[in-house]
Amino acid sequence: MIRAIPTCAAVLLAGACFTLPATAQSTDWTPPGPITLMIGFAAGGGADTQARLVAQGIEDATGWTVLPQQVTGNSGLNLAQELRSAPADGSVIGMIVTETLAYNAVRLGNPDLQADQFTPLATTAAFQLGLVAMAGGDFASWDAVQAAQEAGRPIRLGAATERQADMAYHLSLGSGIEFNIVQVQGGAEIMNGLRAGDLDLGWVAGAQAGAVRNGEMVNVASGIPTPLVDSPDAPTIRDLGSNFYLDGYFMFVAPAGIPDDARAALAGAIASVVQNPETEAGALITRSFGGASVLTGADLDAYLQRAVEDSAALIDSVR
Amino acid sequence: MRRVNADVALGLAVLVVALLALLVWVPADTGSGIVERIRGQYRIGDAMGPSVAFGLLALAGVVLMVESMGKKAAARPRASLGQGQLSFLLIVFVIFFVSLLAMRWIGPAVAGLLTDTGYRPLRASLPWKYLGYVGGGMLMVGSLISLAERRITLRAFAIGFVGALVLAMLYDLPFDDFLLPPNGDL
Amino acid sequence: MDYILMGIGAVFTGPDLFTLGGFGIPAAPAMLFLGLLTGIAVGATPGLAGPMAMAVSLPILISIFGVRTEALLPVFGFLIGIMKGATVGGAVPAILFNIPGTPDAFMTTLDGHPMTKRGMPKRALKVAHLSSVSGDTLSDIALFVCAPFLAVLVERFLDLPEKTALILLSLTFIAAVMGSSVGKGLIAIALGMLASMVATGQDFHPRLALGLDALSHGFPMVSAVLGVLILGEIFWTLDDHWRGAKAGKGPIAAATDGPDGLRPGDVRRIVPHILRSSFIGTVIGALPGVGSTLAATLGYTLGRKVHAKKKTPEQADFGDGAPEGIAATEAANSAVSGANLIPVLSLGIPGNAAAVFLILAADSIGGFNPGPGVFNFTYPQVNPELVIAFGIFTLMALGNLLNWTIGGVLMRAMGVMSRVPIRYLLPVVLLVTLTAIYVQDPRLGALWTAFGFGVLGYLFRCLRIPHLPFVIAFILSGSLENTARQAFSATGGDPFFLFSSWVSTCFVALAILTVFLAGRAPGEGRG
Repeated sequence: MIRAIPTCAAVLLAGACFTLPATAQSTDWTPPGPITLMIGFAAGGGADTQARLVAQGIEDATGWTVLPQQVTGNSGLNLAQELRSAPADGSVIGMIVTETLAYNAVRLGNPDLQADQFTPLATTAAFQLGLVAMAGGDFASWDAVQAAQEAGRPIRLGAATERQADMAYHLSLGSGIEFNIVQVQGGAEIMNGLRAGDLDLGWVAGAQAGAVRNGEMVNVASGIPTPLVDSPDAPTIRDLGSNFYLDGYFMFVAPAGIPDDARAALAGAIASVVQNPETEAGALITRSFGGASVLTGADLDAYLQRAVEDSAALIDSVR
Repeated sequence: MRRVNADVALGLAVLVVALLALLVWVPADTGSGIVERIRGQYRIGDAMGPSVAFGLLALAGVVLMVESMGKKAAARPRASLGQGQLSFLLIVFVIFFVSLLAMRWIGPAVAGLLTDTGYRPLRASLPWKYLGYVGGGMLMVGSLISLAERRITLRAFAIGFVGALVLAMLYDLPFDDFLLPPNGDL
Repeated sequence: MDYILMGIGAVFTGPDLFTLGGFGIPAAPAMLFLGLLTGIAVGATPGLAGPMAMAVSLPILISIFGVRTEALLPVFGFLIGIMKGATVGGAVPAILFNIPGTPDAFMTTLDGHPMTKRGMPKRALKVAHLSSVSGDTLSDIALFVCAPFLAVLVERFLDLPEKTALILLSLTFIAAVMGSSVGKGLIAIALGMLASMVATGQDFHPRLALGLDALSHGFPMVSAVLGVLILGEIFWTLDDHWRGAKAGKGPIAAATDGPDGLRPGDVRRIVPHILRSSFIGTVIGALPGVGSTLAATLGYTLGRKVHAKKKTPEQADFGDGAPEGIAATEAANSAVSGANLIPVLSLGIPGNAAAVFLILAADSIGGFNPGPGVFNFTYPQVNPELVIAFGIFTLMALGNLLNWTIGGVLMRAMGVMSRVPIRYLLPVVLLVTLTAIYVQDPRLGALWTAFGFGVLGYLFRCLRIPHLPFVIAFILSGSLENTARQAFSATGGDPFFLFSSWVSTCFVALAILTVFLAGRAPGEGRG
C-alpha cells in the first residue's frame, strides 16, 4: 500500500504531539525514503510482534514508511553483519537484544561486529529474567536447590543462550551448587522442559510471567538489578554468589556513523511509541514487561560499554 | 546392466565424498570439536552432528553398492542422469539467472534514467515497486513456457505478464508488510 | 482416564475461548470451507497437488491472520481443508480423463476411467466420493483416539535419551521404507541432515559454511523445503514436456451401459472394501514416511483378490470398471491423511508432505510446537497448545462433515479444472512459490537457495533418490541434534546415554535392524 508522505510541517506537528520529554529533541530530519527495519527474532514470537507494533506506531506517529523484515540467526549476529554494510543514513535500522552486541560479539571476536561498529538508538524493554522452577516441585526455592545439592541429586539447569550457560556456570562457581547445564532453544522450550520434568531449573527472560502469576511456576532467583515485577522478593543472583547480573534490553540499532539528527529523530520516535501505553506497542510492553525501559543517547552508549566490559569479565571468569 | 553400474558408481562417489568430508571438511569448518569441555562439563560440539551425518552418508554409499551389486537391472525409463538432464538444467539455470537479474535491476535502471533520486527512495511506491517483479516474472514464466513448448510465443509472455501482475497485486495490495522482489534487497 | 474426559471437555470448550476474542471460531470454519474448495480444485487439476496449494497459500494466510496464536486455527483450517479437498478431488481427472491428478490416484484410473467410457462417470465419481470420505473419517477417528494417548505415553515414559533414540529410529525407518532402495533412502536422510546443519551450530562460528557470507545464514526451512518439493517437481514435469513426452489423453466415449448415477446395491457392495481399505490406510498412515500410494496399491490388490472370489458373473472385474475397485483405492489413500497426523501431533515427526506444511505453518506462526509437549494436560492452567490441538481435531471432523455433504457436488463441478494445460500453469506456480518465499525471507539470495534446492530435488528425481526423506530429515535433524545435546548434558556427559535405559537401547537396536533387514518395500517417494 502506498502511504502518502506528509509534508515537513505535518511531521513536525506529529512529532510535537507524540514525542515525550525524555528524549524530545525536535529535529526536522526525515528519512530518505522508506526505512527498512530488520528484525533479529523469529517471526511470530513476542519480540517480533513488539518490533512490528513499534514499526506501526512510528508510521502512525510520523507518517514515515517502515518496512519490517526478518533477519534471524546466530543470536542476532547475522543481523549485525547485514546491518553493518547497510547505508548509514537512517534508512536501515535493526532490532536485537543488547546481548548481541555485548556478550555475543565479544565471544565471537570478529572486529567488524563489535558494539563500536554500530549506533545504538533506543532500548524498549528490560528482560524480566528469573531462574525459574515448577511451583511445588523439589527446586521451588533456593533453599530447596541447596538441599538437593546436599542430597547429591544432579540438578539440570536449562539455558537458552551461551551467555546464560556461562552465567549458570559462573553462578555455580560462586555459590558452590553444581548444575548440569542443558542448552535449549528458547524460553518457551525451557518452560516445556520444566513441565515435562526434563529440566529442574531454567533461565527465562519474561515468558514465565503468566505461569508465575497463576502459580504454576516460581522465580527462584532474579537475574536483574531491579526487582522482578511478578516476584519482587526473589533474591538476586548477586545475593547468591554471582558477580554479574543477567540483564539485557530489547534495542534498536543503526549502522555506525549515521548523522546525529537522524539518530536523535529515530530514537525519539521509538521512545515516544513505546512509552505511550495508548499505542499497541506500548500496551504490549506494559503487559509483558511491566512498562517500557528506554535508554537513548549517551546513557545507552554507557550501558552498552558496561555490558561489553562485563561480558569480557564473565567470559574470563568461566574459562 | 547399465543401471546396476550407475548405482554402484553413485554409491562409490557418495562414499568417497563422505570420507573426504569427514576427514577434511568437518574438522576444518566447525567451531568446536565432536565433544568439547566447557564450563566444567563435557558437551557435544558442533562437529558431532556433521560427523554423524557424513558417517551415515558413507554407510548409505556402502549399502547402495551392496544392494545394487546383487540386483538385476530393472527397466526404468527416465531414471538416469545424462546429457539430456544436464542440458535441461543449464537452460533452466540461464532462464533463472537472467530473470532474477532483470528483477533486480529493471527498477533501478529505469529510476536512474528518469529520476534524480534513484530507485531506493521509490522502492515502496507505485508503480516503481512492481517494475522489477513484473518484468523479471514475465521473463521467467514466458521463457519456461516457451521451453516446455519448444517454441517462443507471444502468448507465453502474455501469460507471464498477466500472471506476475495479478500476483503482485494479490500479495501487495491487501498486505502492508509484504515486500515483493527485489524491494527487500535494496 | 481423567485425561480423556478433560480432553473431550477441551474439544467443546476450546474453540469457545476464541469466540470471546470475536475472531477464531467464525474465521476457522470459514477458512476450512475455502480451503476445501481450493483443495478440490487443486486436486482436480492434473499436475497440481495439495502440497503445492499449501505452499502457495501459507504466506498469504500468515499475512491475513498475522503471526499471533489466534491465527493458528484459521490457518490450520485452510490447510486441512486443502488436504481433505485434494484427497477427494484427485479422483476427478483420474475418472474422467484417465489422468491421475495426484500420484496416488493412479489406481483410481484403472476402474474409474473404464466406467466413464461405459457412460457412467457420475456413478464412478459418487463411489469415489463416498469411499474417500469414509476412509478419511475412519482415519480421523483413529487420530483423535491415538494421538493424545501416544503423546501422553511418550511424555510420561520417555526422557531425553529415549527421545533422541526415537527420532533416530523414525529417520532410519523412513529411509528404509521410502523409495526403491535403503541405500538411496539413507543418502536422502544424510543429505537432509547435512543441509540443515549448515551454519546452525551452537558455536558462533557458522559451521560448514565454507567461510562464505552467503552460506553463513544457513538454509532457511521455507526455501529448502519448497525448493525440493515444489521447484524440483516443476522442473521435473517441465523437463517431461520439453522432451515431448505427453500423457496420452483417451477420448471420452459416449457409449452408454445403463443409466448413470449411483445404483441401489452399490453402497452395500462397496462397504466391505471401504472398511478393509480404510484399515490398511490408517495403519500405513500412522507410520511416518510410508506414502498413500502404497496404501492405495495394497488396498487395491487385496480388494481385487477378495472381489475375484466373491463376485457374481455379471459384475465387472477389477480393471474393467468395477465400483469396488474405485472404493478399495480411494478409501485406502484417503485413510492415510488423518492417521498421518498421529506421529506429527504426538511426536513432532512429519510423515508426508502435507504434514510437512502443517509443521511449517506452526513454525512460522509460533505458539504451537507439534510434539508430545502439546498434550500436557495441565491443570488448573489451560495449556493453550492443547486447546489448539483439539481445535485441529474439531476442524478435521468439521471438514469431514463438509466433505460428506457438499464435497460430492463440488467434486463433480470441478471436472473443468482438468482441462487447464499444465505447461502454462507450472511456470506460474513457480513464480508464486518464489514470491511466497521472498515475502517470508526478503532476499534474492533466498530465491537462489530455493533454486539450488530445486535443482537438488530434480537430480534426486533423476537418480531415483526419494526426496521426501530429505525434507523430513531436514526438519527433524535440528531436534535430533538438540535432544542429543541435551540428553548428553543432562546425564552429566555420559557418552553412552543412548544406552542408558532399556527403552532407548531398544529403539537404537530397532533403528539398526531396520537398515539391515527392512530390505526394499515397494514404497513410493511421495505421500
